[in-house]
Amino acid sequence: MSNPANNLPDFIVEWIDVGIFVVNRNMEITLWNHFMARHSELQADQVTGKNLFSCFPDLPEAWLAKKIQSVFLLKNFAFTSWEQRPYLFRFPHNRPITEGCEFMYQNCTFLPVKNESGEVESVCITLMDVTDVAFSQTMLKEALESLGESSNRDGLTGIYNRRYLDQQIAVEFDRAKRYGEAFSFILFDLDHFKRVNDSYGHLGGDEVLRSVAERVGSMLRTTDTFGRYGGEEFGIVLPSTSIEDSCFLAERVRQAIEQTPVNFQDTPIKVSISMGVSAFKIDQSGYKQLIDEADQALYASKKAGRNRVTCHAAS
Amino acid sequence: MTTPILVVDDSAMARKMLIKSLPASWDVEITQASNGHEALQAYRAGKAHVMFLDLTMPEMDGYQVLETMQREGLDSFIIVVSADIQPMAQERAKQLGALAFVKKPVSPGIIESVLREYGVQL
Amino acid sequence: MSIAPLSPDQRDSLQEITNIAMGQAGASLATLLNTFVNLSVPRINLLALPDVSGSIRNLVGSDVEVTAVRQSFQGYLMGEAIVIYQQAGCKELASMLGHTDELNQAAETELLLDVANILVGACLGGITEQLKGISKENNSGELRFSAPSVMAVNVPPETLINPEKLSWTHALLVEVNFTLENRNFVSHLVMLMPEKTIEKIRGVLDEFIASF
Repeated sequence: MSNPANNLPDFIVEWIDVGIFVVNRNMEITLWNHFMARHSELQADQVTGKNLFSCFPDLPEAWLAKKIQSVFLLKNFAFTSWEQRPYLFRFPHNRPITEGCEFMYQNCTFLPVKNESGEVESVCITLMDVTDVAFSQTMLKEALESLGESSNRDGLTGIYNRRYLDQQIAVEFDRAKRYGEAFSFILFDLDHFKRVNDSYGHLGGDEVLRSVAERVGSMLRTTDTFGRYGGEEFGIVLPSTSIEDSCFLAERVRQAIEQTPVNFQDTPIKVSISMGVSAFKIDQSGYKQLIDEADQALYASKKAGRNRVTCHAAS
Repeated sequence: MTTPILVVDDSAMARKMLIKSLPASWDVEITQASNGHEALQAYRAGKAHVMFLDLTMPEMDGYQVLETMQREGLDSFIIVVSADIQPMAQERAKQLGALAFVKKPVSPGIIESVLREYGVQL
Repeated sequence: MSIAPLSPDQRDSLQEITNIAMGQAGASLATLLNTFVNLSVPRINLLALPDVSGSIRNLVGSDVEVTAVRQSFQGYLMGEAIVIYQQAGCKELASMLGHTDELNQAAETELLLDVANILVGACLGGITEQLKGISKENNSGELRFSAPSVMAVNVPPETLINPEKLSWTHALLVEVNFTLENRNFVSHLVMLMPEKTIEKIRGVLDEFIASF
C-alpha cells in the first residue's frame, strides 16, 4: 500500500482493529486483513486463494460451513455471539490467562456480498474481539449473583432473613399441596431477651442472637431453611418432615440452648427459648395460616411459662 | 368474446394489484371474492372461466378451494397467485389442479406470458 | 403524542406487503429446516404502548411460557423485531436439526437465534424492499440489523414488554405466525416501530394506494 491517502477505504479495511475476511462459494479466502494476519500469524499472501478450512483445521467446519452456506442461500446477514460460542478462531488474547478463557472471545457478523443481479458472490465476515466485554459481563454476573444472595441474608447473624424465609415457606407450601408431602415450620423466640439487653447492653444481646443462630444452624439438615424472623424471633422451614419429627427436633434444640450459656466477654449468659411448631395440612387456606399456627403454638409456650415446645397439632 | 374471470384474495389491495397487471387487450368481466366460500359461490354462478387464486386466506384458504373443486369435479383455468414461494407450495397447488403458479408481488407482464403459454386468446 | 389510526386501505396494503415478505421468510425457513412451513394471514395493529402486552398475550395464549429473541433494525425503517417461541417448539426445532441427544443450552440458544435472524431478516428485508419499490422519495438507507439476543427465557408472554421502559407512545404491531407441518413448532414474529417510522410507512402506503 504505497499511498494510503489515495485509497482510504482499502487502508481502513486493512488497518482497522477488527478482523475482516471474505470467502467465496468454494470457501476460498479472497480477503484477509491485518487484524486476521496478526492474530493468526498467517499473512494475506499465505492464505489468499486457499480453502478456509485447510488453512485452519481447528475451525468447527461442519457448523461454520453450514452457516456460511446459509448466507449464500438466504442472502441474509448471520451472526455469532461469544455467549453461545466463545470463539471461532483460536486466537490468543492479551488478558491474564488466569481469568479462565484460553482464547480471544469473538463476535462475528456474516454479510452477504451481492453482485448487480442480486446474487451473493461472497461472504464477508467481520470478527470483533470482545474479550474485555466477556470478562466484564462474567464478573458482573458473579457480582449480581452474590448480591442476590446477600439480599437474602440477615446482616447480624448471617442466616437467612424474613423475606427469604417467607419465600421458602410459600414454595414448600405449594410443593406440599401439589405432591402431598409433609412439611413443618418451627417458630421460636428468645425468652426475656429485653433483660439480656438491659443487663449486658446491645453488644451482649447481639452476641446472644449470633451465638444462638450458630448453634441452632449446626443442628439442622442442609435441606432445612433457617432464618431470623425479626428481633429475637427465628424460623425454621423443614421440608419432608412430619410434625412429630419436628417437635422432636425442637425439643433437642431447646435443650441444647438451655444447657449451654452464651459466653459474652468471659461472662456466661443463660438463655432459653420458647418454641411453636406447625405442619402443613391440606385444609390450610395458605402458607400464612401455617405461620399463624406456629405463632399460636409459640404464644402457648410463652403463656405456659416459657422454655418449652408446643405443637400446634397437639394443642 | 368476453371472458368471465374471478380474482380471489383476502386483500383488496392485492386484488387491485392483480387486476392492474392483467393484459389491457384481454376482454374480461371481472368478479372479485375475498375468501374461498365466495370464490366457490362465484364459480357456481359461472363467473370463473379463469380464476386467480390466493393461497393464504382466512376462513377458507386457496388449498381448500382447490380440493373442493377437484373433489366435485369442477373445471376451471386456475392460476394460483401467492406470496408463499416454497417449492412445495407450488407443487401442492399444481397437484390439486392449478395450471400455473405466479409469485407475489406480481411482476408486470408475467400474467400475459402465462396466459399466452396456455393459449388464451388476448 | 397521538397518532391517527391506520385507514382500512393503509392496513390492507401493509398486510399484503407483509404477507409477501413473510412468504419470503417462510421460504427461507423452509430451506433451512428442509420442511414445509405453514404461513398465517398476517395481522397489523397500531397500538398504544400499554396495550401491546395484552395483545401479545392474546396472540400467544395466556397459559404458556415463552422464550423470546429480539433484534433491532435501523436504516430505512427503525424498530425492534421480536420472535416468540413456545417451549415445546424449541425442543422440536432441535430434534429437527438432528440434535437427537439432549442439547446443551448454548447450542439450543444458538439455534433459536439463527431461526429468529432468518425470519426477521427475510421479513423486514421483504417489507423494506417493497416499500422502497413503491416510493419515489426517501429511498436512502439500507436496513441494518443488530445481532439477535435472547430477551427472556420461559416467561409468561405478557411480561415480555415493559411499556415503561420504552420511550415510544405507539407501536405498530405486525403479527406473523409460522408453523411447521406435522411438527409441534409455532413461532410468532412481532415488530415494534416508533411513531416516526409509522408515519414514514404511512406516507409510502398512501403513495401506493394513490397509484391505483
